[in-house]
Amino acid sequence: MSDYADYLATYASVAAIIGVGVLLAAGMLGVNRLFRPTLTTPAKLLTYESGVDPVGAGWAQSNVRYYVYAFLYVVFAVDAVFLFPWAVVFASIGWAAAIEMAVFLGFIAVGLVYAWRKGVLSWT
Amino acid sequence: MTVEPFIGLSALLFAIGAIGVLVRRNAIVVFMCVELMLNACNLSFVTFARAHGNLDGQVAAFFVMVVAAAEVVVGLAIIVSIFRTRRSASVDDASLLKL
Amino acid sequence: MSAVSVQAIVGAAPSPIEAPDVDYATISPLLIILGAAVLGVLVEAFVPRAYRFVTQIAVAVVGVVAAFVATVVVGAGLDTVDGEVTGRGGPTAMGSLSVDGPAVVTWAMLLFFGLLGVLLFAERRLDGGLSAFTSQASTPPGSADERHATRLRIEHSEVFPLAMFALGGMMFFASANDLLGMFVALEVLSLPLYLMCGLARRRRLLSQEAAMKYFLLGAFSSAFFLYGIAMVYGYAGSFGLAEISTAVSSQIGGQNLLLAGMALILVGLLFKVAAVPFHAWTPDVYQGAPTPVTAFMAAGTKAAAFVAMLRIFFVAFGGARWDWAPAVWAIAIITMLFGAIASIAQTDVKRMLAYSSIAHAGFLLVGMAGLTSGDGVTSVSAVLFYLVAYGAAAIGAFAVVTLVRDAGGETTHLGRWAGLGKESPVLAVAFTIFLLSFAGIPLTGGFISKWSVFAAAWDGGAWPLVVVGVVASALALFFYIRVVVLLFFAPPQGDGPTVAVPSPLTWSVVAITVAVTIVLGVLPGPLLDLVQQAGAFVR
Repeated sequence: MSDYADYLATYASVAAIIGVGVLLAAGMLGVNRLFRPTLTTPAKLLTYESGVDPVGAGWAQSNVRYYVYAFLYVVFAVDAVFLFPWAVVFASIGWAAAIEMAVFLGFIAVGLVYAWRKGVLSWT
Repeated sequence: MTVEPFIGLSALLFAIGAIGVLVRRNAIVVFMCVELMLNACNLSFVTFARAHGNLDGQVAAFFVMVVAAAEVVVGLAIIVSIFRTRRSASVDDASLLKL
Repeated sequence: MSAVSVQAIVGAAPSPIEAPDVDYATISPLLIILGAAVLGVLVEAFVPRAYRFVTQIAVAVVGVVAAFVATVVVGAGLDTVDGEVTGRGGPTAMGSLSVDGPAVVTWAMLLFFGLLGVLLFAERRLDGGLSAFTSQASTPPGSADERHATRLRIEHSEVFPLAMFALGGMMFFASANDLLGMFVALEVLSLPLYLMCGLARRRRLLSQEAAMKYFLLGAFSSAFFLYGIAMVYGYAGSFGLAEISTAVSSQIGGQNLLLAGMALILVGLLFKVAAVPFHAWTPDVYQGAPTPVTAFMAAGTKAAAFVAMLRIFFVAFGGARWDWAPAVWAIAIITMLFGAIASIAQTDVKRMLAYSSIAHAGFLLVGMAGLTSGDGVTSVSAVLFYLVAYGAAAIGAFAVVTLVRDAGGETTHLGRWAGLGKESPVLAVAFTIFLLSFAGIPLTGGFISKWSVFAAAWDGGAWPLVVVGVVASALALFFYIRVVVLLFFAPPQGDGPTVAVPSPLTWSVVAITVAVTIVLGVLPGPLLDLVQQAGAFVR
């Protein structure tokens, strides 16, 4: 039983870090709340404070431009999946691994270069 | 470790996806159902990898994720080009080729 | 996730990672094609628009020819393996590819189809100096943007790198030696084809619709294929075909997993080869896709998918033959009969060729039910011969379809083809030769290929399939003869069909495919020897 308690005790540092993190964030927000002036007006409760009243429902179609960026995100996020297992065994294989990963990243770079030349990346 | 609950869940997800493909009418939803089927396969892969004690299944899951991402890009490109023409993503509207 | 935690999760010490050892010379044909594809993407990005189309053609043609030469060199250097069955070559690239006799023959076949496909894609004389592909796929059909792009004479030369990627995927699919590699190859060959289907210049709504149907159904079927792989992995604990074969013959593990896995994998592959009841996409996609793409797809996909199917079911599931053979028998019978009967009702040339493609999938399945080893015609050699003869005739037939045109593009309605024999006797005779080859008339490649699959099936004891096959051939013959009569003897409607004057590219495709069809019918010996010497699959 004491073994188990010892084992749990090794998690104390994790708990301490979490505690410190929560305290830090709560403290900063709390201090802000204490010192800032509070003036409540109805205008403050609007969705935006830009001086223009919001029109229409909360659901709106986002611009199709973002769709390209979503694609690019998917491409890079998924390729990162391969970098993690590679990084684990990199040291035991050495340069051959580096070259092969360079080839792999080269293919992605070719795709990106193509997208760039076709003007996909420019904000129109 | 018992694999049955995991395989049962994976089969259930796969079946939900397959039925979704057959009954739903919006191309995007049909497409999401296909992705659900692929992810059901991933669950099977990692379950069996653990049961067999080798890493092949986990590697397979990585490959399937990449393939699924490529499929998303190609599929959405096709669906968006159709949507631009017809202002609709319903698979029932795409019926010019029916004989 | 660190190596330590992976070890902890798996609960067994992983074998130490060693750098993979790859024999690059053996897989050079594959690398050349994929390299040509990547080079094509760079050409698209950097070469000025005026030279782009020509440069793309050059890259694709040089890539295909270089890969063909490399394939011949690799094929000549394969060692003979004497095992249970004679074979050549063997696994390479850490066992993930099997460069054996059938694989090399399939590579050469696919590269031949690829070259013909590229020649058809490059044709620009038929449509007022523009290719058969849309100016800009992103513009809605009929919009001002589209007309503007056409006026600027913009063209999509991306079809060439896409075709190279598809070709590389087909070659990988035919030689992959593990199920995971097969899945990746299946997607690499399918994804570019989905896109290419949607790129037609004329009838763009049909083309986009074909792309969407092909994509949704293709993704659906590859999900089945993948779930089948997961079940087989659960059964055997490995993706390698050799390990699965060992597990199947020693009957370890739960047989239910194996049966479910085989059934799901079969469904995925039967979809790709367009066998009934997984054929529904075929007529729509063949009709909607740009005709050069249809030609490439009809020949290439069928060849790659059939060789992969034979490899999986002969190598990995050979020990469970009695479990899968009945399903193949049933599907072969309904596919042959359905394809033959449904093609009779068609009024559109491209749909008719699609139903003929379905019927041919049935005949190829008859070949699959035949002998796996022996002195006579084996299943593998019969199917390889059939694929060459069918592919050549199919590409030729679709090439003819690109030439019969009116103001709106191709005229595919069968009635409008009446009187083609008077308008262009050469073209009508070429189309007749292709139809006779599809029907299996002697002195064409189709006769020898039908004879060889029936002989393989007969020797393997599948005589009921042979009987049904002969009946289906007779039914189909009736229809093909009707079309031939229409071409030569029916009075033309209105002005009759007009035949566009193509550049030497399309002419050479028609000439080559006619020559191949006739040579395979008159002098089949060399190719029959080649496919028999290719031997069996080596795992």
